[in-house]
Amino acid sequence: MATDDDIAALIGRLALRDRAALSALYAATSPKLFSVCLRILKDRGDAEDALQEVFVKIWQRADRFAGAGAGPLGWLVAIARNHSIDILRSRKPVADSIEESWDIPDSARDPETETVLKGEGKRIDRCMEELESDRAGAVRSAYVEGLSYQELAERHGVPLNTMRTWLRRSLLKLRECLDR
Amino acid sequence: MTTPEQSEGDRSRDELLAGEYVLGVLSQADRLKVEARLARDKSFARIVARWQENLAEFNDEYDDVMPPANTYSKIEARLFPQNSFARELAAAGSWWNSLLFWRGLAFASLALLITYVSLQSGWIGGGAPSRSLVAQMAGDEGAAISLLAQYDAGSGRLQLTPVAAKTADQRSLQLWLVPDGGNPAISLGVLPQSGGGAVEIPSDLRPRLKDGVTFAVSVEPFGGSPTGQPTGPVIASGLARNL
Repeated sequence: MATDDDIAALIGRLALRDRAALSALYAATSPKLFSVCLRILKDRGDAEDALQEVFVKIWQRADRFAGAGAGPLGWLVAIARNHSIDILRSRKPVADSIEESWDIPDSARDPETETVLKGEGKRIDRCMEELESDRAGAVRSAYVEGLSYQELAERHGVPLNTMRTWLRRSLLKLRECLDR
Repeated sequence: MTTPEQSEGDRSRDELLAGEYVLGVLSQADRLKVEARLARDKSFARIVARWQENLAEFNDEYDDVMPPANTYSKIEARLFPQNSFARELAAAGSWWNSLLFWRGLAFASLALLITYVSLQSGWIGGGAPSRSLVAQMAGDEGAAISLLAQYDAGSGRLQLTPVAAKTADQRSLQLWLVPDGGNPAISLGVLPQSGGGAVEIPSDLRPRLKDGVTFAVSVEPFGGSPTGQPTGPVIASGLARNL
């Protein structure tokens, strides 16, 4: 299994248009990225098409990889997730929500502290435990499977607005917990 | 809608929006709005990056699944269409490709097929067999054309007969010789627009037409490839064997 450093080095070589690096990166990461596409799109043919697009994007965007944040594999997974979710959403539209009124209270944090927090990634599990289990489950399956609010509401047998409130409150609680 | 000039009161709202974006629950229109803002608002981009980092732990849920075996070659063909002549050549004729793969087993039947087709078409007359080369150049199912090529070393003529030709409007079909071992391809000329007819092989190239070379036809701009190498898709290819 390739380490983060290996993957980061391969992405760096992609930025230099090194085709051998693309082949090596594909060998090292395609099973993970195919899994992402398959889990979200739920169809092998669609997932294979998506995987092709994802590697085309990786090749094109390699020079924008910063090496920070979720790490090199996290960066690749984010490309695969975003691409798969985009396909899903354009195929099966869901209601927009940005325009709606927001009734979520301000969490009142010091904005300056939040950008300097480091090494918090491993704390998400502990913070998830602070959520009620069905809400934690909704957060996790939204992320892993790319489910929409509507699909989550159906799966959990609650009204759409209830699901919105669940997830938004959960996100705020997670943020609060992660910042502690 | 969140404005670029965010106030303190917008912060938890941005936090939520970023979290919803990373979770993936937003509509496509909303995702595009978020991405547009990401590109111009650095502090918002940091909030999104932090959610990405926080939630990346869920990535452990994606257990490895092997993609189909030929996916990588499709990716390469998409990224490097100009430089992948050999690969395209391999992809052009799937049945031919598999014959190449299995040629140890299948060569005998292939030779029979070629001989049969040649005899049927009446091209093989009394000439010395060793002085003739024949290749059937087949494309994918649904490909525009399939050609039979016969080279007569005595006259230096390569006879081409379309087995099934569809019109390729405003395009030319160009015939290539691919030496044993791959690139670079050597142009043997542009085919008549009918896809059939004969091509006169220049005398300096004649020694190179021998057992083991590959003939290929690519679709090129009208009049032929501007670069001297194939630029369009390879629609047919085939390996030449001595009769």
